[in-house]
Amino acid sequence: MRLGETVLFVGFTGIGTTLLLALLWAPSVSINAFESPAAQRIFYWHVPAAWAAFIAFGALFVGSAGWLFKRSERMWRLHVAGSEAGLATGLMTVWSGCVWGAAEWGTPWDWTDVRLNTFGLLTLLAIYVVLGRNSQPDGVETRDTFAAFGLYGFVLVPVTYIATRIWTIRHPGPVVGTGDEGSINGEMGLVLLIGAVSFTVFIIGHMMASMRLTALEQRLERMQHNFDGGA
Amino acid sequence: MAKALLNLVDVQVRRGMNTVLEGCTLAVGAGQTVVLTGANGAGKSTLLETAAGLLPMEQGHVEHGEVVVADADGRRRPSPLTVGMTLQRNGVLGSELVAEHLQTAMSMSGHSVDIDPFLEAFNLMHRANDLVAHLSQGQARKVAVLAGLLPAFASPTPALIILDEPDAGLDDASIEILGQWLNELRAMGHALLVATHDERVMTQATHLYNTDQSEVETTTEPPVGKVDARTSREVKPLSPSAFGVKIHLRTMMWLNTNAMAGLLTLGILLTLGDFMEELDNLQRMGFILAPTLAVGLCGEPLVAALREERAGVWWRAVGGGEPHAGWIPLAIGAVFTFLTTNGLQDAREIHIILTGAVLCFVVWHSVGWMQRSTQRLARPHAVFIGLLTPVLILPYSILIGLLA
Repeated sequence: MRLGETVLFVGFTGIGTTLLLALLWAPSVSINAFESPAAQRIFYWHVPAAWAAFIAFGALFVGSAGWLFKRSERMWRLHVAGSEAGLATGLMTVWSGCVWGAAEWGTPWDWTDVRLNTFGLLTLLAIYVVLGRNSQPDGVETRDTFAAFGLYGFVLVPVTYIATRIWTIRHPGPVVGTGDEGSINGEMGLVLLIGAVSFTVFIIGHMMASMRLTALEQRLERMQHNFDGGA
Repeated sequence: MAKALLNLVDVQVRRGMNTVLEGCTLAVGAGQTVVLTGANGAGKSTLLETAAGLLPMEQGHVEHGEVVVADADGRRRPSPLTVGMTLQRNGVLGSELVAEHLQTAMSMSGHSVDIDPFLEAFNLMHRANDLVAHLSQGQARKVAVLAGLLPAFASPTPALIILDEPDAGLDDASIEILGQWLNELRAMGHALLVATHDERVMTQATHLYNTDQSEVETTTEPPVGKVDARTSREVKPLSPSAFGVKIHLRTMMWLNTNAMAGLLTLGILLTLGDFMEELDNLQRMGFILAPTLAVGLCGEPLVAALREERAGVWWRAVGGGEPHAGWIPLAIGAVFTFLTTNGLQDAREIHIILTGAVLCFVVWHSVGWMQRSTQRLARPHAVFIGLLTPVLILPYSILIGLLA
């Protein structure tokens, strides 16, 4: 097994462990604080997935900038990997958020909430970049166009990140790193930490595997091109 | 050495996964005709489109006169010269009239000449007021060639003429006439860059540039023929926006896409019955502006139309930008907001109608910008551009919030 796939496997194992701990070990929350305390356990999936999505979108930004300004093949592979990983983790976050929202707020989506909508747009952008890129033959025109969208899209990352700090409409604000004691006790924090580390390992493994796959695809295309006589 | 009107300096261009031009340096002076030769796929069309400032470069830059019009950092400036261009495709919409397209091409130079002698020479006089869509392929090609040449005939100052296989699809008599016109334009002091495989056109060259070997060869200068006296007069250049409005009004293409989306949305709202009384202000405004939003979300129908014969690319080469609907979304937005307030029996307040017009304008042109951003791709129609349109819910929600 290659390094990327190994890291991916470790990440999967960690995510599985997080799910088990979240469902079987993490303490229940107060019925006074939540409309649906059972659904709160989605939190251990939702927050680490969102964290991993931000890492993936960061990789998409770096890869896009690296292609546009340095014409680096390696950076293009990072763009591809970042967009695919961003799509996967973005959908995980949106899907889990909708399920949790339906149970807690009585609605899966709120068009007036800035955090929800900017994150939704970010995920749509990842879908657009992945599907759009796959619809085109590889070439500088395709790479320039989608790398530009990767750069534009990154504007949404800081907006999404600060959204709940500035406009708390429906989505709650940050629960860790706020400077006060917060609403998370030790066991909850531990499960969340395992989840965040597992998702980070998963996303790194995903991107390593994806970059290797893209490199193999590029090698195959070069070989086909040579067989065609370089025309 | 004649004063260079076109300079390509150390240009590298990639297309797809191939480097098509590498270290390409070429100058075309006033009164020179440089003919590009080389096998199919050697990069003649790439060189011509790069010279027109249409293609992005990996390195180097392109100068028109003293001005750098395009460089490897992506900077673009309008050409200070009159540029005439004939693409390999015709670059003309089927919805344009023959004479109208030629006048449009000439108007870019701010001057115009009588087109009748040119139409007569190409046996197109009887077709002057026909739609280009009604012409045969050969006739449409003649129109495209004339649109490349006439700006120079009209221009009182030296112009840059770029022709990509102008002889393709022309009969023998027309190629003879084309050769005479090329000769005449060179004698008038214009700079010509021509790609061709036709020996008769090649005889007009002062220089041959072999794209296979990136070498310039000076030829025996062809004798200067007769230059006909033509009177040029000043005309107002037609902007891409004015052209876009004209095509929209003529073809009513907005009716098939934008207006139908708005009408369907309004129709759905009307089937819901008399519900406006029960809504709060925010919801009421949301419903009133929903058909207008639907109109805008369909985007700019001209973007797809301009892919026909690469008409959008021709406009970018000679007119500085792609045509668009201009003020039309304002009018359609106002009409739809008015219709919706009537249909839903709400108060017809002028500020709501104006807001609808602005919303339609912003959303329509934003989607148009998204559509145009993918035009460089090999298959722009295959991109999932609709996935990006939900971002436009933001101006919609801001506007209904302000109105409420």
